Amino acid sequence: MLNAISIHQLEKSFGSTRALNGLDLEVAAGEVHGFLGPNGSGKTVTIRVLLGMLRADSGQIRLLDGDPWRDAVSLHRRLAYVPGDVNLWPNLSGGEIIDLLARLRGRVDRRKRDNLIDRLSLDPRKKSRTYSKGNRQKVALVAALASDAELFVLDEPTSGLDPLMESVFQECILEVAAEGRTVLLSSHILDEVERLCDRVTIIRQGRAVQHGTLAELRHLTRTSITVATDTPLTGLQQLAGVHELRIETGSVHFDVDAGALDAAIRHVSSFGIRSLVSRPPTLEELFLRHYGDDLSPVDEPASSSTSP
Amino acid sequence: MSTAARRTSPLQGVVQLTRLVARLDRVRILCWVAGITALLIVSTESIKGLYRTPVEYLQYSQLVRGNTALIVQAGPGYGLDNPTLGSVVMNEAGIWTIIAVAVMSVFMVVRHTRAEEESERAELIRSAPVGRHAQLAAALLGTLAANLAITVCIVVSFAATGLPLDGSVAFATAVFFAGAVFAAIAAVTAQVASGARAATALGMGAIAIAFVLRAIGDVGDGQLSWFSPIGWAQAIRAFADERWWVLVMPISAGCAGVALALILQMRRDLGAGLISQRPGRAEALPGFSNPVALAGHLHRPTIIGWTVALALFGFFYGIVADQAESILEGNPEMVDYLSVLGTGSLTDAFLATSMLLMGLLATAYAVSAVLRLRTEEIALRADVILATPTSRRTWMGSHLLAAAGGTVVAMTIAGVAVGAGFASVTGEFGQIPRMLAAALAMVPAVLVVAGFTSALYGLAPKWSLLAWGFFVFVVVVGLLQPILHLPQLVLDLSPFQHVPALPADRFQLTPIVLLLVAAAALGGVGVAAFRRRDVG
Repeated sequence: MLNAISIHQLEKSFGSTRALNGLDLEVAAGEVHGFLGPNGSGKTVTIRVLLGMLRADSGQIRLLDGDPWRDAVSLHRRLAYVPGDVNLWPNLSGGEIIDLLARLRGRVDRRKRDNLIDRLSLDPRKKSRTYSKGNRQKVALVAALASDAELFVLDEPTSGLDPLMESVFQECILEVAAEGRTVLLSSHILDEVERLCDRVTIIRQGRAVQHGTLAELRHLTRTSITVATDTPLTGLQQLAGVHELRIETGSVHFDVDAGALDAAIRHVSSFGIRSLVSRPPTLEELFLRHYGDDLSPVDEPASSSTSP
Repeated sequence: MSTAARRTSPLQGVVQLTRLVARLDRVRILCWVAGITALLIVSTESIKGLYRTPVEYLQYSQLVRGNTALIVQAGPGYGLDNPTLGSVVMNEAGIWTIIAVAVMSVFMVVRHTRAEEESERAELIRSAPVGRHAQLAAALLGTLAANLAITVCIVVSFAATGLPLDGSVAFATAVFFAGAVFAAIAAVTAQVASGARAATALGMGAIAIAFVLRAIGDVGDGQLSWFSPIGWAQAIRAFADERWWVLVMPISAGCAGVALALILQMRRDLGAGLISQRPGRAEALPGFSNPVALAGHLHRPTIIGWTVALALFGFFYGIVADQAESILEGNPEMVDYLSVLGTGSLTDAFLATSMLLMGLLATAYAVSAVLRLRTEEIALRADVILATPTSRRTWMGSHLLAAAGGTVVAMTIAGVAVGAGFASVTGEFGQIPRMLAAALAMVPAVLVVAGFTSALYGLAPKWSLLAWGFFVFVVVVGLLQPILHLPQLVLDLSPFQHVPALPADRFQLTPIVLLLVAAAALGGVGVAAFRRRDVG
């Protein structure tokens, strides 16, 4: 099996609303795949199709070499799911829910369960009515991570966690990945995706607009540079690939396309660099580039060498 | 001082929030208003039909006034020494109107306070520039507005049926303030209870206590009735020399309740009650390992509640049954009414009617239990289970099983309770199995309505709540068919029309089997449709 998930030309409408509009998504077995996109772009709908909750209107979908709609029950033995909006039964304690879900999946690894509860510092005795959003998410995370699933489907799993717990979560995912298991991680937290994901797919308005490794995607983007020079910096405007130039007293800010970086730095250094800060493009900027100014979808894969 | 330090009013935003409450509940309010108004119009018209002459009114009052069981059920019967249409309507339908408005008010206040907090929508609203008490105040104002709508409809519909205006206004006002008092009580229970369900349950408990206090008071010297908001609403003596000063009681109690709720609200955190939540288990019990166990856990409190209620009703009807003949002797219309249901003795006819009533109550449970599927689906809790290797059939089946199991449990206990109540007066313990059989004979009809709800849920989830429409139809056909003269074809749509009216009728196996088959088929349609549609 090469791909844990492969989706081709998936379409799904709700009434007159087109939620998915020819979506493609490939997740290789054993990788951590980031699934990114703005709110309402169709991430959760895609995930719910993968879980067999929603029936696709058209398109080919293979999940762990099965059909997510027809083979839902047998596939669910091999995957674990954490919803973005975790709702639990108010009268049950976190511990009871974790155990119930583990037993529904079949096997319970007590050691793993207790270890995860400990690491995420969850109080399993509290009734879930009294849990905050973050704590409800911890319950779902413990239930999922304690399982021996081959595939983890995580829909913004850390949106309620504090930074400390977020880093515990990241450790857990790295461990899971080291064991060769597959993770589909929908997220908004850029640091999380940058740290965890081998490859990402960015979707907008129900279709994939970019996919590739982070390095490949960065190739398409600009680097932000803040520089202070001995003599006043001039002539940058004339250089190709330089954008957003702002000259302030003592420092100059600009963004530069990946292909023009070398030329720009050579130009700047001739003025005598006193200090230079360069920031790699963040996913946020990847987002902005594709959802901000440039609204036309980019169909070719990011690994192509055309500059943006 | 900077403007940031200026204190905002604790009621900031209350107008907008009240509008929101009204907007969110407009359909519900409409249903309550229409239902209660219809109840009053139908009772008034049917009383007009049953009692035509002053002599018949007098016979009615003689019958009612000496009968403890009926006083417990209806109230002290003000004005029945000189009975008019108004005082008879009050005795027949007054208390049910008051209870219906009380129930509506409790539901509504809790829905817009604690239930909102549990959904975390309250946090969204509190984070807006909204005063500390604005949400509670909006819930109360919205509830009072609903009560006011009912009040107006009562006055208009009574006036239309020709009842005196004084009495109509007196009754409508009393109903309004009874609703207000229970709204205030619910405002308090919403602060105290550990969650929304518990807050509603405490509010319902307050209604039950108010009912019992006035029942004991009305039967005895009347003292205890003055401690009951339901007693106050009756004490205004609508259509019987009105006593307006009585309104002082609900007004002062309502204000005290609201004040208490506001004070309590300042002492608790959002989302937490004053009664703290006991910690639960760190680990699940060994048997808690499948969807049926989960469904059992979720439905258990409701099953217990309905079973206790049915047992109390059943025991009460069992006690009264022995007096049925003496009660009914003077009322040939009532005898006609009951004899539609069976051919046995009057006592048996009365018991058969009681069984029907309890069957209808059990139907309310069964419908709500099946609709739990929709609640779980909307709250996305269904996803959590369905993402495990649990099939849709198993998940839906687990809730249908809880609905059916709860019905059987409640009707079993109810049947035994009727028998026990009857035996406690007559000493005929041999009647208990007979009553149990009569109660269980209702179960297939209940299951047909549950099955219908399941089919609706599977086929048209967004319209699931229409199942209550079918429930209301079944209730109307069951209780009012002798008055309504509906075509047989329409009557036959109610499954209860096909149940042998035990113990008055002979037992027949065929309809029971057919009803069970229909229930299973409808349930099956629901599951099959659910397996084919999108979840959520």
